[in-house]
Amino acid sequence: MNSNKTAPAAPETEQIRIKTVPHAKAIKWPMIWYLLMGQIYTLLPWKKTAWTCAGFPVELLWGFDIFPLHPENMATVAAAQKQSQRLIEHAESMGYSRDLCTYCKTNIGAVDTNIKTTLGGIAKPDIITCTNTICDTHWKWFQIQAEKLKVPFFMFDCPKIVSGTDERTIEGYINYMVDQFYDFFEFVKKHTGKELNVTSMMKASDDSELMSVIWREIFEYRKCAPSPYSSAETSASFFPLVVMPGKKIGIKFFEKIRDDIKKRAETGEGTLSSGTERFRLLFEGIPFWYRMRFMYDLARYRAVVTYEPYTFSFAPPKPFGKNYSESLRDVARVMMDLPYSYNLEKRIVYFEQAIRDYRIDGVILHENLSCRPSSTGMIDLKNAIQEDLGVPVLIIQCDMNDPRAYSEAQMKTRIEGFIELMERNRT
Amino acid sequence: MKTIAYFDATHDLPEEIIMAAGFLPYKILGDVHTSNEPADRYLQAFFCPAARSFLTEAMARSGDWEGIILAQGCNATNRHFDIWKRHVTTPFLHWFNGPSRDDALAHRFMKTEIWRLINALERKFCAGITDEKIASAIRESNVLKRRLQSLSALRGTKDIPNREYFEALVRSMQLPKADAIEEVNAAIARAEQRGPFPSNKRKALLTGSDVTYGEFMDLIDEAGFRIVRDDISEGERYYATLIPEEGEPVDALARYYLTIPKPATKVGIRKRIDYLEQALVQSGLDTVISQNIKFCEAFAYDSVLVNNELKAKGHRVLHVEREFTPGPDNQLMNRLEAFSEML
Ligand code: SF4
Ligand code: SF4
Repeated sequence: MNSNKTAPAAPETEQIRIKTVPHAKAIKWPMIWYLLMGQIYTLLPWKKTAWTCAGFPVELLWGFDIFPLHPENMATVAAAQKQSQRLIEHAESMGYSRDLCTYCKTNIGAVDTNIKTTLGGIAKPDIITCTNTICDTHWKWFQIQAEKLKVPFFMFDCPKIVSGTDERTIEGYINYMVDQFYDFFEFVKKHTGKELNVTSMMKASDDSELMSVIWREIFEYRKCAPSPYSSAETSASFFPLVVMPGKKIGIKFFEKIRDDIKKRAETGEGTLSSGTERFRLLFEGIPFWYRMRFMYDLARYRAVVTYEPYTFSFAPPKPFGKNYSESLRDVARVMMDLPYSYNLEKRIVYFEQAIRDYRIDGVILHENLSCRPSSTGMIDLKNAIQEDLGVPVLIIQCDMNDPRAYSEAQMKTRIEGFIELMERNRT
Repeated sequence: MKTIAYFDATHDLPEEIIMAAGFLPYKILGDVHTSNEPADRYLQAFFCPAARSFLTEAMARSGDWEGIILAQGCNATNRHFDIWKRHVTTPFLHWFNGPSRDDALAHRFMKTEIWRLINALERKFCAGITDEKIASAIRESNVLKRRLQSLSALRGTKDIPNREYFEALVRSMQLPKADAIEEVNAAIARAEQRGPFPSNKRKALLTGSDVTYGEFMDLIDEAGFRIVRDDISEGERYYATLIPEEGEPVDALARYYLTIPKPATKVGIRKRIDYLEQALVQSGLDTVISQNIKFCEAFAYDSVLVNNELKAKGHRVLHVEREFTPGPDNQLMNRLEAFSEML
């Protein structure tokens, strides 16, 4: 299981490819299930749906038998279907600034033009729920859409665990969060007539942890060199973690992927063809959904993204086998302290540990024009990694959903320069 | 007087606690005339330029201050805190996490956060913050707010340049309150001597991102508009509501900060729209200048819905995005003038 550390960097023209795992295509089953269930829950009058966002504990909704619809996810579908640019431009023509998050603008365009679900459209929900834990955009966007669609709106106000926050303060924050859980339960009951089924919520939470455990196991195998699985694939396969945490169909899919990867790891087979892996990368940020080839193209330079905090952050340890009130406190803590929104001090420690664990040769930080919150602190992060570990870091400015921000030629030049830098760093 | 400076995105930090601790509360507003280059070493150019200017000011001036408090508002406050912690030298840096909601739960949490601030100040400075000292700070704040209300009321009848009103507000947030009260009294006396509202100016309401420099207020004046109502923090948000003087002072402060005119950084866009509509109706206005500083997400998100609602009610609304610059902004000027002509 050794990476070929001595071979010279291959020329870009060699066309080394990512070999997808045998069950990669099985992702279509959870996706079909999700889209179908979404439609059923939308059509049947006694079933209820909610829009929700990243960082929101979907298990709470399962506890009410409410189906979660994910505008962010559907925005990525729109990008993959090459629809996002026209939807973003539509939102801009409505007055939304060029500088605002393109997930939001994709959704605003999708709702206003009423496009099909398969192209990234989304149905009107019964309630809209979100948090402010990751970004202001989530709740600003959902509040606007709740007003427009005339749908009841609920926001969890998550206190921010800034660098240096002590445990006593965090406990106080958790108290505020737990108060809001009970408020949320009342809100759901009032607007949907649904009661919380504590047993199904606890079961959903336990199942969700089972799913997360498999994902974390997959990440353990990614520590192997050559890496048996790359970001080119995780960017698609992590989908069940976001939209259907704990659902059997998702767990089964993850088990298959995990078994594929395990087999590869045991035989020393990597995602790149034998002996060609040379640079192991960490990619921070949301991928370019309209240009997923970016991740595949890295293979041409014998580079493979072996760790990305983005998909890992959807699998934090969740409460398992705990009682109701302990679970709520744990959920509150997880909501406030997601890896995706770690404060800078914690983020630096977390990244440096990942760089060691995954034997990373270089770090690419996506400075996302849509996402100021995740781009904040990147300069300090870069400096810390370079100074503490001597690992080269490249910051690339782009956007996850807006193809207008992506310049093919510029990206190629920057990546090639970075590959050279990693090569020099090695010698 | 010893100073504790603070960065709050709108009007979020109970400065009365700083006063009760015996310090001068100083709202950091940056300086549009100074390059943001020091902050830009750590904050990218596509982040709010006002927030970058605040960091630049803190990096240059923190030696003059006993400490700094950042209060939860927009993402610039909570996400930039860590950067301030790394790059601003100060003996006391405190995070004040005021709530974004405004219900009973938020009220309870706000009180917890105020107590946490009191404890932190007492631990660091042996400040001896008593209920009586807080109550006294509240009374002083209210005197200032009442005087500002009087000055504000004159905007619609007297010839008060936009900048003059704006600067009275800025000084109210940066000077000792007693000095600020004197200055506002002097401004009122001056205003009362002035001529009537100029006939060549049009009355307007200003909404959107906070304004941190007078040049923007000059620009609006030059384009032919006088701001007679607003909902910005260096404006009505700071004084429209008084702090309750009865009851337990921490409780009163919590109530006050949750009921001031709603900024876009807090949940409750409906309340924000209601305030604007009420202000327009009360003052018989129909002209709105809505603006956001480039990269200010919170207000940019709100602007479409807020402005469409105001337009639907028959008001005439111009929305502009402005750069952070003291220099002449021809594009902005053209838009304001075109709006004026259109009216
Ligand atoms: S991309 Fe960033 S700003 Fe947009 S919704 Fe996601 S976390 Fe929020
Ligand atoms: S101008 Fe906007 S982005 Fe900047 S600090 Fe104020 S609220 Fe935040």
